Amino acid sequence: MIWAIVALAAPALALVAIGLIPPLRRSGRPAAWVSVAAISAALAAAAVAAAEVVRSGPAVREVLWAPLHSFPPVRFGILLDGLSATMAVLVAGVALAVQVYSLGYMSGESRPSLGRYFAYHSLFAFAMLGLVLSHNTLQTYVFWELVGLGSYLLIGFWFERPAAARAALKAFWTTRLGDVGFAVGVVVLWAAGGTFVFSELFERAADGSLAGPMLAVGVAGLYLGAAGKSAQFPFHVWLPDAMEGPTPVSALIHAATMVAAGVYLMVRIAPLLAHTPTVSAWVLGIGCLTAFLSATMALVERDVKRVLAYSTVSQLGYMMAAVGAGAAGAAFFHLSTHALFKALLFLAAGSLIHALHTNDLFEMGGLYKRMPWTAATFLIGALALAGVFPLSGFFSKDEVLAGVLDHGHRFAFAVLLATAFLTAFYIFRAFWLAFLGGRDADRHAHESPPVMLAPMAVLAAGTALAGLGGWRAIAHMLGVSVSFPEGVHAGHPPAIVPVLGSAAALAGIALAWSGYGRGLWSPAALRAQLAPAVRVLERRWFIDDLFLALYRALYLVPTRIVGWFDRYLVDGVVNWVTDRTRAASQALRVTQSGRVQDALYFLVAGAIVLLALAARS
Amino acid sequence: MKDLAFYGFAAALLAGAVGTVVSRSLYRAAFSLAATLLATAGLYFLLTAAVLGAVQILLYTGGVLTLTVYAVALTDGERLAGPRWRRPLPAAVLAGGLAVALGSAALSVEPSVGLGGLEDGRALGVEVFTTYLVPFELLSVLLLGAIFGALVVARKEREP
Amino acid sequence: MTLPRLLVLSFAMFAVGTFGVLARRHVIAVLLSIELMFNAANLAIVSAAWAHGLLHGVVVVFFAIAVTVAEVAVGLALFVLAHRLRGTNQLDDLNTLRG
Repeated sequence: MIWAIVALAAPALALVAIGLIPPLRRSGRPAAWVSVAAISAALAAAAVAAAEVVRSGPAVREVLWAPLHSFPPVRFGILLDGLSATMAVLVAGVALAVQVYSLGYMSGESRPSLGRYFAYHSLFAFAMLGLVLSHNTLQTYVFWELVGLGSYLLIGFWFERPAAARAALKAFWTTRLGDVGFAVGVVVLWAAGGTFVFSELFERAADGSLAGPMLAVGVAGLYLGAAGKSAQFPFHVWLPDAMEGPTPVSALIHAATMVAAGVYLMVRIAPLLAHTPTVSAWVLGIGCLTAFLSATMALVERDVKRVLAYSTVSQLGYMMAAVGAGAAGAAFFHLSTHALFKALLFLAAGSLIHALHTNDLFEMGGLYKRMPWTAATFLIGALALAGVFPLSGFFSKDEVLAGVLDHGHRFAFAVLLATAFLTAFYIFRAFWLAFLGGRDADRHAHESPPVMLAPMAVLAAGTALAGLGGWRAIAHMLGVSVSFPEGVHAGHPPAIVPVLGSAAALAGIALAWSGYGRGLWSPAALRAQLAPAVRVLERRWFIDDLFLALYRALYLVPTRIVGWFDRYLVDGVVNWVTDRTRAASQALRVTQSGRVQDALYFLVAGAIVLLALAARS
Repeated sequence: MKDLAFYGFAAALLAGAVGTVVSRSLYRAAFSLAATLLATAGLYFLLTAAVLGAVQILLYTGGVLTLTVYAVALTDGERLAGPRWRRPLPAAVLAGGLAVALGSAALSVEPSVGLGGLEDGRALGVEVFTTYLVPFELLSVLLLGAIFGALVVARKEREP
Repeated sequence: MTLPRLLVLSFAMFAVGTFGVLARRHVIAVLLSIELMFNAANLAIVSAAWAHGLLHGVVVVFFAIAVTVAEVAVGLALFVLAHRLRGTNQLDDLNTLRG
C-alpha cells in the first residue's frame, strides 16, 4: 500500500516542484529530468505494489475527511487491487516512455515552454494514477476532472495556434457533457446505494438492495462519463481534433491512458453492469457503432495522426463492446495491448513528423530506407493493430471477438469482424504510403535520435511479447480484484474466432498491398468513383455539423430570448424605478429652501399637534 | 403682598419679552431681554429659590447680555437694514397655537399654593456634588469645550 | 401666585419667544428670542419644583442655565464668523443647505 502512495506522490511532488519554483520551470531540461525521474519512481513503485497485490490480495487504505455529526463522513481511499495495480503500471510505463521520447521530440521548444510541458505531464500522471487508485466514485470523479484539465492543457499546449486552442476547448466541452452524466450517476448511485465506495456498491448490488431503475440510471450516468472520455459515438468528435497537440501527448493521452479511463471505469463497475442488461445492451450497441463508423472515416484520411486517432476511437469501440457484452476481462486485456501498440504507432508517426515536418501521408513515401527503425516499429504496431499472429493485438482482439460471440451477440460479432477488416486495410494503407510506394519523399529525412527510438523500441518489444501469456497474466490480475469476485476465466476462444479474425486481417492487408503496394487497382480512381460516399466520410458523417446546428438552435436561441428579457424587462423595471425616484426628489426639493426658519414652522406645528394629542389622552 | 410682587414681575417680564421681539434696534432688544431676565430672577426669589435667582442675575443677565452686546458691536452694529420681520403672520399663528395648546394644559393643573422650601443653598450644593456629580463634571468639560470652540471659530485669520 | 398662573405666564413668554424665532430676520434677534424660550422653560420648571417642594428642579435649572450660557457663547462666535465670511447678518442669507 505504501508503494501505491509513493506512486501517487512522486508525480505530484514533481508537479509542485516545477509549478511552484519558477526558476526550475524556466530552466527547461532540468524540469524535464525532474518529471522523468518522478514518473520512473512511480513506475517502480507501481510495479512493487502490483507484486504486493499478487502476494497478498487487494488492499484498501481509507482516510476520513471532515467527519460530521448528521452526515456520513466523506471517505477518501486508495484501492489497490489487481485491476488498479495493472492499470497503474501501464499508465506509469507508457507515461515514462512518452516523457523520455518528448526529450527528443520537443527539443526545439524554448526552455520555459519545455518546463511548462513537463509540468503538465506530471499533472496528468498524478491525475491518472489518482483516478485508477480511487476507491470510490466521488474521488474518481475528482481525478476524472483533473485528467480532463491535463488533457486540455496538453492539447492546447501550442496555444498560440488557433486550431490548437479550439481543439482543446472542444475536447474539454465534449467530455464535460459526458461528465455531467457522470456526476448524476455518482449521485444516483449514492442515493440508491447509500455509499460512494466501489466495493460496497458491488455488495449492495449483489444482495439486491441496490437494484432497479435507480441502479440503471446510476450506471447509465457513469457510462455517459465514460462515453465522453472514451470517445464513444457521438462524443467521439473531440478526438480527431485533439491531434493538434504534440504527438507524444497524443500517444499518451489519446491512445493509452485518458481515453482508456472510460473503459477502465466500465471494467471497474462490471459487477454493476451485470445487473443492468439494458445499459449493457446500449454499451455494446454504441461500442459497435463507434468501432465501425470511425474505421470508415480512417479510410480516407491524409493526415497520419488523424488515421491513428480514428483508429483509437474504433478500438475503444471494441473495448466498450466487450464490456457491454459481458466480457470485461477481454476488454481490459485489449485496453492493455492497445495502450502499448497505439502509443508505439503514435511515437512512430511522431518520428515521421519530426523528420519531415508534415503530417500528410501523400507527401511521404519510400521512407523505409532512410528511417528503418521507425519503419520497423511502425510495422510491428500496425501488425498488432490489424491483429496478426503472434503479436499481442492478435490475442486481445480475438478475446474481444470471442467474448462477444460467447454471450450470443452474433450481429455485433459480424460488425466487429467487418471493422477488423477495415482496420487492417487503413493501417496498412498508411504504412505503404509512408514507408514504401514508389516515391522517394524527402532526401533530407533522417532517422530520429536514440532518445526517441529507445522508447519506441521498448514499446515494440512489449507489443510483440505481450501476447505470450498476456491473457493469462491479465486474467490472473483481474482475479485478485474487487470487481471480479469470481475471478476471470482464462479460457481459449473457440477455433472459429482466430480463423475468422486472421482472415479478416489478412484480407485487409492484402487489399492495401494490392492497391498501394502493387498498384493492381487504383485507389484514386476508386475514390473518384465513390465520390459521394467519400464526401460523407470526409465530412465525418456530418456529426460535427449536427452538433453545430444543435448548438445554434438549442443554445443561441434561448440566450437571445433571455438577453432580450434582461435588457428590456429587467433593466426596464430598474430604470423606471430610478426615473420615478429622481422625479420625486425633484418635486420634493422645493421644500428645502435652506433657511432654518422655514423648517422651524414645521417643527412648531408638529409640537402643537403632539401637545394636542397628549392633552386628549 | 406676594401676589402684588408676582403680578408686578409678571408684567415686567411680558413687557420685556414683547420688547425683545419687536424692537428695531438690537441694543434695545438686548436690554429688553435683560429686563425680562431680571424679572424672572425676581420671580425666582419669590419662589424661594434664592440661590437660583442670584445665579440668574449673574450668569444670564450679566454674562449672556454682555456677550450679545459685544457681538452686536463687533459686527455691523444696531443698524437694521430692511424690515424687521419675515412672514409675521404664519409665525403669529403658530405661536398663538402653541400658546393655546400649552395654556390649556397649564390651566388644567390644580391651583395649589406651593410648598416652597427651595432656599436651602447648602442642600443645593450637597445635591449638586453628590447625586448630580457626574453631570457637574460633564458640564465643566462642556464649558471648556465651549470656550475653546468659540475662540477657534471667531478668531481672526492669520496672515500667512 | 399659584402654579397654573405661573405656568401660564411662562408659556406666554415661550410663545412670544417662538414668534420671535420664527419671524425675526436678524440673527442676533433670533438668538435673543431663543433666550426667551429657554428662560420660559426654566421658569416653568422652577415653578413646578416650588409647587411640589422638590429641590431637584432647582438643580436641573442650574445646569440648564450653565449649558445655555455655553451655547450662547458658541452661537455668537459662529455668528461673528458667518458675518465675516458672508458679509450679512440676515438669517435668510445663510441658506447653502438648500435642496
